[in-house]
Amino acid sequence: MTVTIKDAEIREHLRERSVATLRRRTYISGVMTALCWLAITFAAVPLVAVIYQLLRRGIPVIVKSGFFTTLPQQPTIFDANNTGGVSNALVGSLAVIVYAALFAVPIGVLMGVYLAESTSKFASLLRIITATMVGAPSILMGLFAFEVVVQQMHVGFSIIAGSFGLAVLVLPVLATATEIAIRNVPSTYREAGLALGAKPSTTSLKIVLPAASTGIVSGIILALSRAVGETAPILLVIGGAYAIAWHPNQAASALPFQMFQDVQSNYPSLQNETWGIALVLVGAVFIISFAARLWAARKKKVQR
Amino acid sequence: MTSNTSTDLRQAAEGHRPSAASRGVYEYVVLSAAGLFAIISLYFVGSIVWQALPAIRHQGLYLLTGTSWVSGGATPALSKFGGLSMITGTIETSLIAIVIAVVVGTGTSLAINLLLPSWMRTIAATTVELLAAIPSVVYGVWGMLVLAPLVISTVGPFLNSLPGGNAVFGTVVAGQSLLLAGFVLAIMVLPTYVAISREVIGAVPHELIEASLSLGATRWQTIWKTILPTGRVGLLGAGALALGRALGETVAVVLVIGQVNQLNFRPLQPGVTLASWIASQWGEAIGSDQMNALFALGALLMAASLGVSFISTRLVSRQRSLVNR
Amino acid sequence: MTSVSGITDPQFEDPRLLPAAMSLRDVSVAFHGRVAVRDVTFDVPANRVTALIGPSGSGKTTLLRSLNRLHDLTKGASVSGTILLGDTDIYQGGIPTTVLRSRIGMVFQRPNPFPTMTIYENAVAGLRFNGVKKKSVLDAAAESALTSADLWDSVKQRLNAHAATLSGGEQQRLCIARALAVEPEVLLMDEPTSALDPISTKRIEELMVELKKRVTIVIVTHNMQQAARVSDLTAFLLMGEDRAGEQIEVSPTLKLFSAPEDQRTLDYIQGRFG
Repeated sequence: MTVTIKDAEIREHLRERSVATLRRRTYISGVMTALCWLAITFAAVPLVAVIYQLLRRGIPVIVKSGFFTTLPQQPTIFDANNTGGVSNALVGSLAVIVYAALFAVPIGVLMGVYLAESTSKFASLLRIITATMVGAPSILMGLFAFEVVVQQMHVGFSIIAGSFGLAVLVLPVLATATEIAIRNVPSTYREAGLALGAKPSTTSLKIVLPAASTGIVSGIILALSRAVGETAPILLVIGGAYAIAWHPNQAASALPFQMFQDVQSNYPSLQNETWGIALVLVGAVFIISFAARLWAARKKKVQR
Repeated sequence: MTSNTSTDLRQAAEGHRPSAASRGVYEYVVLSAAGLFAIISLYFVGSIVWQALPAIRHQGLYLLTGTSWVSGGATPALSKFGGLSMITGTIETSLIAIVIAVVVGTGTSLAINLLLPSWMRTIAATTVELLAAIPSVVYGVWGMLVLAPLVISTVGPFLNSLPGGNAVFGTVVAGQSLLLAGFVLAIMVLPTYVAISREVIGAVPHELIEASLSLGATRWQTIWKTILPTGRVGLLGAGALALGRALGETVAVVLVIGQVNQLNFRPLQPGVTLASWIASQWGEAIGSDQMNALFALGALLMAASLGVSFISTRLVSRQRSLVNR
Repeated sequence: MTSVSGITDPQFEDPRLLPAAMSLRDVSVAFHGRVAVRDVTFDVPANRVTALIGPSGSGKTTLLRSLNRLHDLTKGASVSGTILLGDTDIYQGGIPTTVLRSRIGMVFQRPNPFPTMTIYENAVAGLRFNGVKKKSVLDAAAESALTSADLWDSVKQRLNAHAATLSGGEQQRLCIARALAVEPEVLLMDEPTSALDPISTKRIEELMVELKKRVTIVIVTHNMQQAARVSDLTAFLLMGEDRAGEQIEVSPTLKLFSAPEDQRTLDYIQGRFG
């Protein structure tokens, strides 16, 4: 680099450019800042729009007598509004999630403990597998559940097959939530336990896990409440029965499953009923996750 | 405890360092849970690939390049299962979704971190999280019953009225289309993108922002030249994570894409994706060679999304280590 | 030259009598209504080094950051009083902050070169922000600024290397070059050597004395020896009873460290608190 330009010239050119471009720079900055505001507004619109529709179209559906307590009916040309209720789907959803939880919660939590405490090569490999599985498409859990439960175990289309699909879906989520909750426990707790002469396992069970329990429990609740709304993992395997069923080997319906079926029917009354189911699902998820957060926040305060 | 506590404690602590010898029931229980998950994960990949193999053997490359999907029924030799429309449909809808989500999501994250007063930040962040808590079937129903009519009545005619609108976007026939599917997907993956990008942008050292401003940069110059470049790896990871979500989304797409097995490239035309085709064909496919073909589409989807997911987690953790250096 | 009590050096000039680059009049800074610095009034002499010293919590950095309106970024921060750059009121005078900040540069506590940019890009970043595109000007400015920051000879062979490849001291000098390239009238330095080793610190101190020809410097330092070594004028701040920083004494450095007017200054420089 050979310098032929003097400092004074640089200064003059700089001042000139700075003034010449100031208006444009300020203008662009203002426009882009406005666009950022627009983006955040745009991001909030769907939430507001969906909730508005849920309330407007869903409330009339769920206040209909027998919505929660009767079985669905097929509308006919004589009675196009005869849609019945969702009692079977309600029971089915509860059954599916309970069986899924029985399988996924113990394994997920124990695995999370392992991920949080182990420094082995296997643990770091497992961490990568877990992070990758969290991103796996949920429809694949349906295919997997079909292959394992319906075909190989000869159970057939059933609640338990749906539960298996959901369980595989939430396992990595539960493990991650547990791992984070345990890692958030100050290391001094563990050190204090060890210093008092307790074995590592005793320290984990008696000190670390209780301290992390709030985080673990709220993680479980959040993951399961979201799993209730999942359609794809159960879609291929649950069977879709029009009767109340809760036995693991029975075919059943579930709330998101029934929504998916009803909205594709040709009867406007059945399509409209999906707003009621949607309101129930979203309301439940919101209330449960809000309550879980509130509870976790309060617990935290009490502990301090 | 005696007065000599601190040394006692240290000795006690050192005496109980976890070692192979001190492994008890607890360690084995925890380890076996982890092992079980590893086995499930392997079995997951294995069984989908296993069920896909017959279709791969019979259809070969036609699975990737063919466009007709015909079951031979009792004579499997007549079956033709081509997945090209599903592949292109998946790519098209995901691209639309990711472009919208990245633009809107980056703007949202910038606004949350730099523009909103601090008390509103938590509210905004919670709002975006709530978006993620809404089940995908609800978005599907909303898209089908509320947005699709809007596409027919307003959005479609508007796009068609633009110069060259028919050639670029295709003529609007039904509301359900690649564009609507991409749009609904964008809303669905937005929370994923914002969650990560908000963290990435928030982690850009404040000193860099101040350095930029104190050189006379405007707010946008600071964002464009300092904040976004510093966070680019993490933002890329966030985009990849959102892409992974968009690739595999099923029920919402079934309801808003039109489910037509056609090789379409114009946004207002209907289409189909890998996941939505699996869901919609499943009922008639069970037990036949078509089922194996659907498993093959599933295997393809799995390879794509696990790959993307793996890359995205690597990118995000690389960004974290870059910033915390 | 008027004589200053306690100084016998015939070469001594009183920096307070020199033309002012900046003037502070009753400057107060508050965060959410809580006053952090109260009623500071003094002139910053042009082409001299002015040091702000005082114990932690005395508001040195807070005051410094009000001089280029960096507090504008902090929600709830308010600056009152008058700060003049030349004749321009920097808060009320209608000068855009972008222009103001290109006239008043800043160097921070920790070296903060832009990590995604090369050495060259860092050096010319400010010019580019200000709309300079001409390659010849950018090249000349980079060389001039890097030379002034005593960095040119060691980096001229690797201008396209990333800034992170430099040592801490070199990074800080790159930051000084980056600020100088915009040709500011005033350079604010916020404890610029606190993250550096003694040798790098010494180089930057020598640099500051050199840079006086080019720019007016205001430096915050917790290191009294540093203030004594590099500055011409020293302002001593102390936390008052309501925890707000107050100006105790502004004197020529030689005088402040040899014959301070205020007992509290004497206590501080003798290490009785802070």
